[in-house]
Amino acid sequence: MWTFETLVNEPAAWLGATGPHSGVVLSTRVRLARNLADEPFPNRADVESLARVRESVLAAVAKSNYLANALVLDMEKVVPAMREVLVERHITSHGFGRTPTGRAVVIGEREVMSGMVNEEDHLRLQCIRSGLEPVDAWRLVERLDSQLDQNLHYAYSSDWGYLTACPTNVGTGIRVSVLVHLAGLVRSGRVARVLGSVSKLGLTVRGFYGEGSAALGGFFQVSNQTTLGQSEEDIAYTVERVAGKLAVLEDETREALLSNRRVEIEDEVHRAHAVLSSARLLSADEAMRLCSSLRLGVATGILSSPGLAAVNRLLVVTQPGHLEYGRRGDASAPGLDELRAGLARRELARPNT
Amino acid sequence: MLCDECGEREATIHYTEVVDGELSTWHLCEECARSRGATLALAPLAGPLVNILMGLLEDTGDERDESGPVCDKCGLSYDDFRRLGKLGCGGCYDSFRDELAGLLRRVHGTPRHIGRVPSGHEADGSAQEVRRLKAELAAAVSKEEYERAAELRDVIRAKEELAASGGEPDVDVRDARE
Repeated sequence: MWTFETLVNEPAAWLGATGPHSGVVLSTRVRLARNLADEPFPNRADVESLARVRESVLAAVAKSNYLANALVLDMEKVVPAMREVLVERHITSHGFGRTPTGRAVVIGEREVMSGMVNEEDHLRLQCIRSGLEPVDAWRLVERLDSQLDQNLHYAYSSDWGYLTACPTNVGTGIRVSVLVHLAGLVRSGRVARVLGSVSKLGLTVRGFYGEGSAALGGFFQVSNQTTLGQSEEDIAYTVERVAGKLAVLEDETREALLSNRRVEIEDEVHRAHAVLSSARLLSADEAMRLCSSLRLGVATGILSSPGLAAVNRLLVVTQPGHLEYGRRGDASAPGLDELRAGLARRELARPNT
Repeated sequence: MLCDECGEREATIHYTEVVDGELSTWHLCEECARSRGATLALAPLAGPLVNILMGLLEDTGDERDESGPVCDKCGLSYDDFRRLGKLGCGGCYDSFRDELAGLLRRVHGTPRHIGRVPSGHEADGSAQEVRRLKAELAAAVSKEEYERAAELRDVIRAKEELAASGGEPDVDVRDARE
């Protein structure tokens, strides 16, 4: 049975480093925004309307085979530590759990598919894949959307497409985001220029945890900016093409760094590994920076162990919400920095995964 | 999310800029974006952003002093929308049709949907369907999937012939790929 405990204890499929360009691209997320035609959008809905929407959406979800055995969480019953876990696993947005009235989240196995009910829009569906897979992830979430469409009457206009609370999402309602690790470009000092040219191609660049977060450790999210006037497939393909070029450029930069500044990079990677394997206290920022160096070392072959998937997992499980959830209810448990350091030591002591 | 500038209204305009090699992302409400537009437009910035902001600048005259329309379905006024950055229901798109047409054109660069159509709407959307198929055709060609492209071409031809007899000439070849 798929429970919240399984969710916390098992890595999401997208952390597996199995997809294309996994050395640079952690994951691809495709999200669709949908609203029901006969109800006001959540920001203008009363409690009864939110409840009706939730009921209809959850009934439709139960009939779809992609989310039939999904874990359904009522946000009103989700404790704060669980909320943060959901944010850190990229299942819900930051504010989603803070105003939980009428809200629910639906999570499919291995977190490939999920949906937020009554966020900014009635339904936000998403599919997350490992590596660079925009077109593939779009096709998966499209199938889920088609199944839900059989039982839900979506708000739609033939001129403006799927109608959304914020006009920046109207049309396809699609957001294709690729999470990239640009450790080489950051170290070569070219990252701002490269990302500047990406934004000129109509794509948006943000930090690791989306809107507002700093691009710690060289992790960035690249996503489409506009949603109207281009088909979903075209948008997914554009992001795939641009992010693919970015990945190739990052690989070339890493190669150049290793031939020009090999000892310096090796030193950084081995030091990161040493600190993560033996430190007793680690702050969240320091862990993120060290994991970034470690990831660069693993992806370039400087280190043969741990595997990329293990480093990806470490990036998520050392986040505050995960640590907080792990020690819930235990007043005598050590502080987060101590827990984080202990977790990093244990993860790195494991046989190669 | 709230506007970075005023911290009060909902941010509806998001962009990333690079100044002196430093990358920064801004989330602004329509109003603050407009007031920043005056200074930003002077800086050597990426084209699309300046276009959006300049578009907003030009726009200020028209709707300023009017109390603005109100959605007959949910009661939201257009002024409220400008303050909150969010629409109240699907009906708002009809109630504020004229105002939104300009805004959507500035934000997205185009005012017409291309792409997926939900199940109840397929029957009436032949022009839209053809636009979508043409976009798919362009994608197939650029990916060198010629068999799929040939299939799509035949479907488009058939639909256009049907539309010509029913009088739906609203199709233009779109080539946004390169």
